[in-house]
Amino acid sequence: MAEVDLAKKVADRYLKREVLGEGTYGVVYKAIDTKTGQTVAIKKIRLGKQKEGVNFTALREIKLLKELKDPNIIELIDAFPHKGNLHLVFEFMETDLEAVIRDRNIFLSPADIKSYLQMTLKGLAYCHKKWVLHRDMKPNNLLIGPNGQLKLADFGLARIFGSPDRRFTHQVFARWYRAPELLFGTKQYGSGVDVWAAACIFAELLLRRPFLQGSSDIDQLGKIFAAFGTPTSSQWPDMVFLPDYVEYQYVPAPTLRSMFPMASDDALDLLSKMFTYDPKARISVQQALEHRYFSSAPLPTAPDKLPRPAPKRESKNSDFDPHEGPTVLSPPRKSRRVMPQPDGFDGGEIRQPAGENTSRNEPVPMSVDFSIFGAKPPNRPTINSADRTHLKRKLDLEFQHPEESMR
Amino acid sequence: MAANFWTSSHFKQLLDQEEVDVVNPLDKGKGITLEDFKLIKMHMANYIGKLATYVKVRQRVVATAVTYMRRVYTRKSMVEYDPRLVAPTCLYLASKAEESTVQARLLVFYIKKQIPDDKYKYEIKDILEMEMKILEAINYYLVVFHPYRSLSQLLQDAGLNDITMTQLTWGIVNDTYKMDLILVHPPHLIALACIYIASVLRDKDTTSWFEELRVDMNVVKNISMEILDFYENHHKPINEDRISAAANAALSKLALKP
Repeated sequence: MAEVDLAKKVADRYLKREVLGEGTYGVVYKAIDTKTGQTVAIKKIRLGKQKEGVNFTALREIKLLKELKDPNIIELIDAFPHKGNLHLVFEFMETDLEAVIRDRNIFLSPADIKSYLQMTLKGLAYCHKKWVLHRDMKPNNLLIGPNGQLKLADFGLARIFGSPDRRFTHQVFARWYRAPELLFGTKQYGSGVDVWAAACIFAELLLRRPFLQGSSDIDQLGKIFAAFGTPTSSQWPDMVFLPDYVEYQYVPAPTLRSMFPMASDDALDLLSKMFTYDPKARISVQQALEHRYFSSAPLPTAPDKLPRPAPKRESKNSDFDPHEGPTVLSPPRKSRRVMPQPDGFDGGEIRQPAGENTSRNEPVPMSVDFSIFGAKPPNRPTINSADRTHLKRKLDLEFQHPEESMR
Repeated sequence: MAANFWTSSHFKQLLDQEEVDVVNPLDKGKGITLEDFKLIKMHMANYIGKLATYVKVRQRVVATAVTYMRRVYTRKSMVEYDPRLVAPTCLYLASKAEESTVQARLLVFYIKKQIPDDKYKYEIKDILEMEMKILEAINYYLVVFHPYRSLSQLLQDAGLNDITMTQLTWGIVNDTYKMDLILVHPPHLIALACIYIASVLRDKDTTSWFEELRVDMNVVKNISMEILDFYENHHKPINEDRISAAANAALSKLALKP
């Protein structure tokens, strides 16, 4: 009986549109919520073949997003089972900050950068107020909605950090956004790790390329020290006690000004406070929001005035029409955010007639398809590509999954 | 975390006792009384606790699992949601939500090994199917607050954090999950009620400490009375075998799994 109701719900409430891509735990497709007329993104959670029920990462995301309701956090609108799979309904987001940063046709004014950073920090401040660590802050996880609002997404790694002595895994964040204490293997960390990542995003907005691009965990620390100088024990007293601490050769810090010649003094002051080595001395998100950078001229650009990669013109076809079946409107958006379709996979809905997305008369897809420019984006390291040998060594040492040490 | 209980989904979902004490019409049709309803839920709370000792999870996971189970039965009938499957599934789901995952096959293994009654036997696929149904029944709200955290803070604040008081109050808090208190009252008030009972029992004078707290003492006293009534009705120490026998008699009315 319940099955019938649910089947009706999908058909009645959500009108399935094109597949947007393959996410970390299943297919994501676009749909129209007929109840509200709103465009939504539906994540279909594949059930693991390991017979372990609802995907653990998905469950984490559901758990936290049901508690987090904020203009700068992606909204989980609904969840429902359908044909044995769990489906999560999110508000539809047009693009993400990575696409904005990478788009060479976009000029980001100091006020634009301020606005993007402010929205990032506001979302983060809300999480921290609710004792939630995001732990996966990167431009690619900061989605941008139709009105220019930036929203934190992908809470699959997020955790509640209630008790101060609870031990966590340090294998979080994509490497380039990982704080030095994580790279030194700390298991007791706090909201400072998100601040460091936000600082990396701030720097990336200023430079228009990832700031600290380490090729391994060791190299990442090297890149950090090359930028800010090797930390001294007076700068960061607890450093030498961290599990994976190794002494690095002393390198002096170049001035921030030399690395960010275009940034204002206020911007550099905030940046240096967010990039403080000692997590205890690092500025909090709330303090960062109160920094004079945000109150001094130029004031942050209003979200709807922010430059975005998408053309303003929205295809007429996307308007809800009950008589129309699912149609292919555009090449799969956000194809960078998602895993490539395996060869030979019968993804009929996302196949494009050849040439369609290269035609200059067609609206350009929201997320930049790099194949158009014949240039592949550099591979961003993800947690899955984390230094395997390092991880394996850790696992051998601890004889258990790092997550289990949190009990 | 206690600081944001007031903005949590848990707070928004608190119910009145009268709303909790409603036997689903489908169950009523099978002859289940309010007494039976409470008894079955209590028995299932015990069952979850027992399973938890086999698979070795923290008390917090047990508490969350019991809360899920009790929330399910504020919305669903026992006829459609067999408590003997809902209970282990809630433990399974809670273990994931509280970040100390227990494998479904392990639960199934211990149920088969330790529970002689065939009516309790379920397979992995049953648990996984029920997991989805429970998620829907609890409307995907997975974060639950418990009295344990505030308990240790409050005991310390009251200067009562010696071993005997800690153990006694902790035990009383555990027993509150045999009732529906967690669906009705904020966890810190439940913790205070447990401290109140323990301090009366051990002749500790906490009057001035309680007076300084900015809480409604009437609510705390009412919760305390409820807990004491419960102990009186079930003859402390609570006899789990008697409850189990009575609950199984009540469950047989549901005529599930012929």
